[in-house]
Amino acid sequence: MLEVAGLAAGYLGENVVEGVDVEVGAGQAVAIIGSNGAGKTTLFRALCGLLPVSAGRVRFDGRDVTGQPTHRLARAGLAYVPAERHLFPGMSVRENLLLGAYPKRPQAATEQLVFDLFPRLQERRGQPAGSLSGGEQQMLAVGRALMSRPRLLMLDEPSTGLAPKLARSAYQALQSLKQTGVTLLVAEQQVPLALSLADRGYVLENGRIRLQGAAAELERNPEVRRAYLGVA
Amino acid sequence: MKAVVLDGIVLGLQFGLLGVGMTLVYGLGGVLNLAYGQMAVLAAMVVAVTLGAGAPALVASGAGLLAAAAAGVVLDRTLMRPVYRQRGEHRVLLGLLLTLGVAFVIDGLLLWRYPSGALRLAIGGEAVPILGVRMRVGSLWATGISLAVAALLLGFRATTPGRAAHSVIQDEVGARLVGINPAAVRTFIFAASGALAALVAQTRSMTSPVGVTAGFDFTILALIVAVVGGLGSVAGAFLAGVLLGIVSTVSAFYIGQYITTIVLLAAAALTIVLRPRGLLGRSP
Repeated sequence: MLEVAGLAAGYLGENVVEGVDVEVGAGQAVAIIGSNGAGKTTLFRALCGLLPVSAGRVRFDGRDVTGQPTHRLARAGLAYVPAERHLFPGMSVRENLLLGAYPKRPQAATEQLVFDLFPRLQERRGQPAGSLSGGEQQMLAVGRALMSRPRLLMLDEPSTGLAPKLARSAYQALQSLKQTGVTLLVAEQQVPLALSLADRGYVLENGRIRLQGAAAELERNPEVRRAYLGVA
Repeated sequence: MKAVVLDGIVLGLQFGLLGVGMTLVYGLGGVLNLAYGQMAVLAAMVVAVTLGAGAPALVASGAGLLAAAAAGVVLDRTLMRPVYRQRGEHRVLLGLLLTLGVAFVIDGLLLWRYPSGALRLAIGGEAVPILGVRMRVGSLWATGISLAVAALLLGFRATTPGRAAHSVIQDEVGARLVGINPAAVRTFIFAASGALAALVAQTRSMTSPVGVTAGFDFTILALIVAVVGGLGSVAGAFLAGVLLGIVSTVSAFYIGQYITTIVLLAAAALTIVLRPRGLLGRSP
């Protein structure tokens, strides 16, 4: 589904991530874990065209999409939910969802799926997105991304700004999404949460992939346990 | 007094439409188009020339709308390209400078080609009494057209393209993430803003002639309306337009025509002091 080879990207000519290889198979859930500043967001922004790629290739669905503009990638089925969410604050929840399907006609069945996943959104459908709580905004950001029936859903730190209980329920929602067959790529610094969802994981440190493997393998890895799971 | 207020509303609806064209381009692209009024005058001259060549009124009017819309597309696709690559205040400044240059060029060309050009769409017929006030037929036409276009704009907001355009104003990154191409939306809105300028030039000419030198007057008026309404707010521009239209005719009637521009500028200054984001401006 997604193949990243030797990717480098950054700001002002300075690479933040370098030599990154990542592979996501159809139907898989893959986690990129790493601490704050490891380069997760930079990597995601480069993958979805918000940041220029300075080296390497990105293949999506078997096609080379390196350097394609964000709106093209979105239409091709790559949906990205950034940590800052980038909702349309002055528009209602419903309008945000309808725009998620752009340029296609919004499907009632997809909207129902989103409401089933996040009943709160249905309750608040008429409210402006800007008036929602942090957790509800996160739901709306995911819901908006789902409206286009994406082939790959990328989420940057879906637990950001959420209380631990809310973060867990956000991951429960992602778990049920995974069961419906959506391919997921998640960047997360709350490693236990990420590994509970993911089939495979990559550890990103200082802009490079340090470790990779099956989620269960990473959970047992002594380095990961020491650095990210708080186990001595 | 009633007549003065009614005249103000007639004028104000047109102010509103003029402001909408300015405010939309700013909301989408961060550009205050100082050549906006020249687009209006360009359209007026095209209409005058095609009418002079014997074309039917509707054809001439359409040619004016098309000319200004085309000018908008060309401006957006050429000179505005480097502007959109800039961010923040660099973008606003470069946009101001480049459009000011364009304004001078269009002004110069039109003045050179049509030194005494003016558009006057005379619509005859007896004055019609409305609410006990005798209104000129030209005023009624101008009002009817303005209201129809205002309704069209409101309806457009609820369509998918309208929603897409609005989303770019709200959050450009968010718009790109849902698959909207902001550059295409900007070009479309620049064209629409040209057409709005052309439309207002024509409705204005139904009650008083629009001369070849009127460009900067239109631009300043549009700026005032857009600022008072809140930059980027369509509803705000309409509200500000109607209010300022009434302020304008009332002050012209009780003080004098010469004072109206000063009163309008004072209203804009007062708004900036009291409500920096305008009547219906968004919070940051």
